[in-house]
Amino acid sequence: MAHADPLGGGSRRREGLWLAGFSVPALLLVVGVQLFPFLYSAFLAVQDWSLLRSPQPKGFAGVDNFLWVLADPVFQVSVRNSVMITGVSVVAEVVLGILLAYLTSGSTWRLRAIRTVLILPMVIAPVAAGTLWRMLLNTQSGLVAVLSGTTGLPSPEWLSDPAWARIAVIMLDVWQWTPFVMLVVVAGLAGIPGEVLVAAAIDGATRWQSFWRVELPLLMPVILVAVMFRTLDSLLSLDSVYSLTAGGPGYSTHTITYYIYNLGLRNFDFGVAAAASWMFMAFTTVVIVVMFRLHRRVDVA
Amino acid sequence: MSADDRHAFPDPEVAAHIRMTRRNLLRLTVAGAAAAGVGTVLSACGVSSSPSPTAGGSGSGGKPSFAAGTTINADYMKSGTYDKAAEAIAPVFEQVTGGNIKISTNAWADLNKQNVTDLVTGTGQFDVMSGEWWIVDGFPYLLPLDDYVKRDNFGGDYIPNLFQPGPSNFYQGKRIGVPFSADCITVIYNSELFKNAGVEPKWDNWDDFIATMDSLKGKLPSGVYPHVFQFGAPEQPGSLFLAAYGGTLIASDNTYKVERDKALRALDVIKRLVDYGPPNAKSLSIDEATAVFLQGNAAALLSWPSFVRTVADDPSQSKVVGKWAVGSLPGPGFPLLSCWNHFISKQSKNPDLAWEWIKTYSNVDNGTEFMLKYGVGSPYDATYTGPEASKHAYDWPQCGKNLARAKPVPYSNDVWQLLYNNIGDFLTGSATADEVIDRWHAGWAKYEVPPSLIESAVGQGLKAS
Amino acid sequence: MKEAVARADVRGVPRRRVDWISLLRWLILVIAVAIVVIPLTYLLLNSVKLPREFLTTPPTIVPSVLTPEHYASILSDPEFLGRFRNTLELTVASTIISVVVGTLAAYGLARLHVSPTVMTIVLFVFLFIRFYPRVTTVIPFFLVMRSFGLLDTVWAIVLGHLGITVPFVAWLLLIFFRALPFELEEAAMVDGASVLQRFWHVVLPLAAPGIATAAIFTAFFSWNEFLIASSVARNESAVLSMTVASFVTDKGIYWGPMAATSVVMIAPMIAFALLVQRFLVRGLTLGAVKG
Repeated sequence: MAHADPLGGGSRRREGLWLAGFSVPALLLVVGVQLFPFLYSAFLAVQDWSLLRSPQPKGFAGVDNFLWVLADPVFQVSVRNSVMITGVSVVAEVVLGILLAYLTSGSTWRLRAIRTVLILPMVIAPVAAGTLWRMLLNTQSGLVAVLSGTTGLPSPEWLSDPAWARIAVIMLDVWQWTPFVMLVVVAGLAGIPGEVLVAAAIDGATRWQSFWRVELPLLMPVILVAVMFRTLDSLLSLDSVYSLTAGGPGYSTHTITYYIYNLGLRNFDFGVAAAASWMFMAFTTVVIVVMFRLHRRVDVA
Repeated sequence: MSADDRHAFPDPEVAAHIRMTRRNLLRLTVAGAAAAGVGTVLSACGVSSSPSPTAGGSGSGGKPSFAAGTTINADYMKSGTYDKAAEAIAPVFEQVTGGNIKISTNAWADLNKQNVTDLVTGTGQFDVMSGEWWIVDGFPYLLPLDDYVKRDNFGGDYIPNLFQPGPSNFYQGKRIGVPFSADCITVIYNSELFKNAGVEPKWDNWDDFIATMDSLKGKLPSGVYPHVFQFGAPEQPGSLFLAAYGGTLIASDNTYKVERDKALRALDVIKRLVDYGPPNAKSLSIDEATAVFLQGNAAALLSWPSFVRTVADDPSQSKVVGKWAVGSLPGPGFPLLSCWNHFISKQSKNPDLAWEWIKTYSNVDNGTEFMLKYGVGSPYDATYTGPEASKHAYDWPQCGKNLARAKPVPYSNDVWQLLYNNIGDFLTGSATADEVIDRWHAGWAKYEVPPSLIESAVGQGLKAS
Repeated sequence: MKEAVARADVRGVPRRRVDWISLLRWLILVIAVAIVVIPLTYLLLNSVKLPREFLTTPPTIVPSVLTPEHYASILSDPEFLGRFRNTLELTVASTIISVVVGTLAAYGLARLHVSPTVMTIVLFVFLFIRFYPRVTTVIPFFLVMRSFGLLDTVWAIVLGHLGITVPFVAWLLLIFFRALPFELEEAAMVDGASVLQRFWHVVLPLAAPGIATAAIFTAFFSWNEFLIASSVARNESAVLSMTVASFVTDKGIYWGPMAATSVVMIAPMIAFALLVQRFLVRGLTLGAVKG
């Protein structure tokens, strides 16, 4: 950072002011649109306030909202569902993403075309992807039902059976976001110096050994960051569940995000929704901190 | 006849302001109303001559008394029924009143959310809203309609109980809603399939009904099922529960509670019904369940006649034309009444025009016509006894009888949501019947029952004494 | 590319197994492509299918006739057109503002001599904003917009999006600017160029690829976003992501219009993605892999 200073002290200060001024609009936005609502939500979390029952907060509620959420069976179910859906999705995405990254590595036009097609699901609005899968899985008219009918495979009641509905949510996440892991791994692969691989080959490593002992460890930091990106984005995703299953049947695909959304923006139970979201945030903050550290390390490396 | 008398309910200042706008005055001048002052304008719209152009105009030669460009917003459920009817009469309304109407449509859950937030937050986007008990949280923010009703002598044509508190929505003893539809869930059956199977479409209670389904089971052609129900529409099994339950919904201590024994029996009925439907019974939406019945693949359909009748009589969509009939819903519970009310928001800047819209929409002629065209259940007596009724003997008369038994449910939206979501978990086996009832009681404990719902529950016999 | 060639050599597998393995490889790739393409094709077919063919038993997959009715119905619906316009306005406004505000902030931060601790905090805040549960702040944001009277305006959505996209753009370009050689700017400084002139004539042209990446990411985000839009918009300012979901009603799903709306919403993004693939890939993976 220590640059030679071709300017005198006065203009340096003036320049500093300019540069600081450049950051002001962004700062205002972050404070106004992020920080203020953020603090406001901390305030809401300790208020007794359901908008439907009263237009103004009714008073200080202490930890009541938190206790209510913790005791709510729907919250417990939602946490379980979130962990399950996110966990399975991310593992599947990483395995498939690495596989596809290797299979599509190369620069022939065919491989490039395939990579281009494979990333398309990522640009689709999640809410539209959800409705698309709802069409596919519909038991009366959906393509999947027809295919399983003609091939004689069992045809589950996709969106009305709890286990299958969760699988459907996972399938949607994997369909849409495996390409992300693929892209990250492709980029990570490009960063591995060719000499390392040549050296491994000279040492007599088989292709499999080379992958397992040399490339994977080198890719690991990148993969870990991808895992955390996906973990957070999948935990936070609302749109796809909203449009695919609407949390049903019953509560079987309620995720934490959907639970908070339903409490806060459908039932307008602001106090408990804020409390639930702060508990959720405590968890995601831990993941973000870990990711940040890792990220810096990757940066340095 | 002072301005204040006339506008006792809308804010007098606001009302005066509307009438004073330059465009309004200009228009009236052009129309030959010979008015240049507020007083004149107001008296031109006075009670005796009525502001309602449909009721004979206001001395300006039948010219509209509402400024062109005055727009009101109304919202309806996206369903191809009430919303379509509204869109169909909008041009007539605009022509007659000179005002404009903008109609928004939303899915049921979004509609409720939108109405309630609009009201509670004082946003005032919608002048006319449609809804029922589910938006009870918004009731304090709705305009009392008693003065309009009295002034225009409105409401004499309704099926009497529909104009009473309960089906009609009231807040603190004042009327805030007037009905524009009446429908209740019931059994619709395929008379040909019943006849060929040699089974009578008769039942008093759910045990009878299930026995009937059971005797149909072996006698129907393959691929045809005894009945079909929209288990896949999340809130629909809730109405089945109410039909099978027959107990009280609000306990003597004014909390939401069900009677466990009766609730257990009702849940059991719901579960047994699944077995008599198609293999994918649990995933069918209302449209899909209806389609199964219309294809002739189910002997009975548990549904809302307003969603069924127009498609069932359309040969391009139905194989059961002339073969279907409305039956009665088994007891001991009640058929859930869907009686949509029109409301006016207190925030509305044009309550008079909003009321004109309500009157344009809700009258006997439209009641019968909307029933014919869009399937909307008419809330008027005359429809069920008039000349059209005899042409629909398989449908309308029984619907009239069902309506006499039907009740609205004293639940706000979040209470209702807990009811049906837990039934959803019960149907998929994620919760036992006892767990469902425990979860209801635990979840409902959070909610106080609003006084207007207690009143309604008492009136409907749904509160334990 | 040199590396890629080298790696391809190393990855060469023993000759006799090549056919078998490459067969398996192409088989998997074909399946993967099919899994992406078939649902999209199905969507396209549904958008031109007759309404009654959605509920037939057995189901109709390939329509008997191609009907334009669903497109005609949505394109003649003023509500739909209004939402399309809102979505476009939202996307354009939030992209332009994010890029301008974010780029300026990134440049300011990159050239200000802030301490490493402050820089770390700033970077952490940026990352945090990208990943904390937004559902936490939508309710307060709703209340704030309500008190400003901005509920149900496109500006409310734009503001909500800016809170996320501006830090993202700043983060992306901060990394970019820090990697730019300072010497060019120094040369301009010696020539007496002011900070604004340097930014405009020297830095911006160099940063163009980074800015393009940021702009594209923002555009995709705003076009597709649902949570913030649905919490502050209702009718007047509703956007396409809300429309797509609104066809799922309690009575049933309006399959045809829903499919047509989805196509109208997805197709431009796919076309756009194909055009700007290079930048898009960078925007999507940035953060996971360094710029």
